[in-house]
Amino acid sequence: MKACIACPPVAIPKAGQYLLASSGDEAGAALGIPIFIAEGCINGFWTAPPIPNTWSPGTNLDLVGPLGHAFTLPREVRRLGLAAMGDTVYRLMPLTESASQAQRSLTLFTDLPLPSLPASVEAYPIASLAEALDWPDFMAIDLPLQRLGELRAMFGLVDGSRLPFPAQVLITTPMPCAGLAGCGACAVPGRRGWKLTCEDGPVFDLDSLKW
Amino acid sequence: MKHDLTITPLFMNAAGCLGFSPDLHSGVEWTRLGAFVTNPVSLEPRSPAHGQRFHAYPGGFLLHTGYPNPGLTQALRRHVNHWRRSPIPVIVHLLGRNPVEVEKMVRRLEGVEGIMGVEVGVTSQAGLVQVVSFTQAALGELAVIMRLPLERAAELGQAAVQAGASAVSLAPPRGAYPAVNGEIIQGRMYGPSVLPLALKAVQELTRLGVPTIGGGGVYSHQDMDAMIAEGALAVQLDSVLWRYAGIKLFT
Repeated sequence: MKACIACPPVAIPKAGQYLLASSGDEAGAALGIPIFIAEGCINGFWTAPPIPNTWSPGTNLDLVGPLGHAFTLPREVRRLGLAAMGDTVYRLMPLTESASQAQRSLTLFTDLPLPSLPASVEAYPIASLAEALDWPDFMAIDLPLQRLGELRAMFGLVDGSRLPFPAQVLITTPMPCAGLAGCGACAVPGRRGWKLTCEDGPVFDLDSLKW
Repeated sequence: MKHDLTITPLFMNAAGCLGFSPDLHSGVEWTRLGAFVTNPVSLEPRSPAHGQRFHAYPGGFLLHTGYPNPGLTQALRRHVNHWRRSPIPVIVHLLGRNPVEVEKMVRRLEGVEGIMGVEVGVTSQAGLVQVVSFTQAALGELAVIMRLPLERAAELGQAAVQAGASAVSLAPPRGAYPAVNGEIIQGRMYGPSVLPLALKAVQELTRLGVPTIGGGGVYSHQDMDAMIAEGALAVQLDSVLWRYAGIKLFT
């Protein structure tokens, strides 16, 4: 389920960034939860699912952020591949919004249920990723940390070989301290030591990670 | 110069909850805290734990991070100037594998401006011998706080103080929980559900005359007041600081 969050424009995250959201009604809740943008709406934005089932229309939220690094697409990208390998395609949907303006073709690779997609977006199963490497000139990927090790096999790449195009990946993993403490719960293996999803991500250049 | 343990206001962050040094650009009102406790620092670098590191359950969550840190040498290099410029006294939390490591680390911290004391962690299975030997290894110019396993703090607290500790604090209790895939995850417990255990430990320690820094599951002024009323000389805040990313620090 999505939720429409009313908030000032300065609080609206970019694709891949997150807000830390807490409800004052949840007295026993230990932590806030990270929420990501799915699309804009009047006076705020639609969050990507999931949202807590304790939230209902009218729930007041404390919001901190936007936090973390967003997707950054070079202007010259013309063939954008999206791969949704987590629990929702919605975190990648903001990247489809400016496609026609930027004269971009879009292909979404996912096995997840599809929302109604813009006409400009073609959808294929994840299994076809390996055959499609000659098409995109950039890829944006959404996957949980525990699946990072599967990426190479999904692309059909042998150890040591690289993708023929730049890619960024939104890593989803619990971020209990939201960048405040460097607690290490969200640590991701980087090429030069560990990185923290909460402050170095959640969007990483794929080349900066060990995958 | 011997440092006394002076904490005003009566609360501080718990180790591992606000990083290695106060970030003066973070929006946190640091002077609302009586001291800053660093993330745990070991003599040698430590990497993050493997496997699942976090699991939420009603009333709290389990954390198993392995206490990643760059080791004392790098921690000093990166943070010593921040400690010197800190608007509040700094307490460095130390993870030593044995008394020799504890003593080495303490000696390197003595004389660093801004550091009031050290908080020394022991394992959850620590016995009286370990507590006494670690306490004695840490004694010197800096105030010493021994962080004891919450479940056994009453058993170990008097020994720590008799060995020379200025006070004791409480480590998060350890627990286990079933994950979705059937695996059992073990880790440190945080969240409001910890408060009853922590408050009971404070009661027991203060009844024994042990100077105690309370903490564990504190999520409101009422929780803090209860710890102080039971005799805690100060209170540590842990995961409540993460709920609002530190910005709302008991406003």
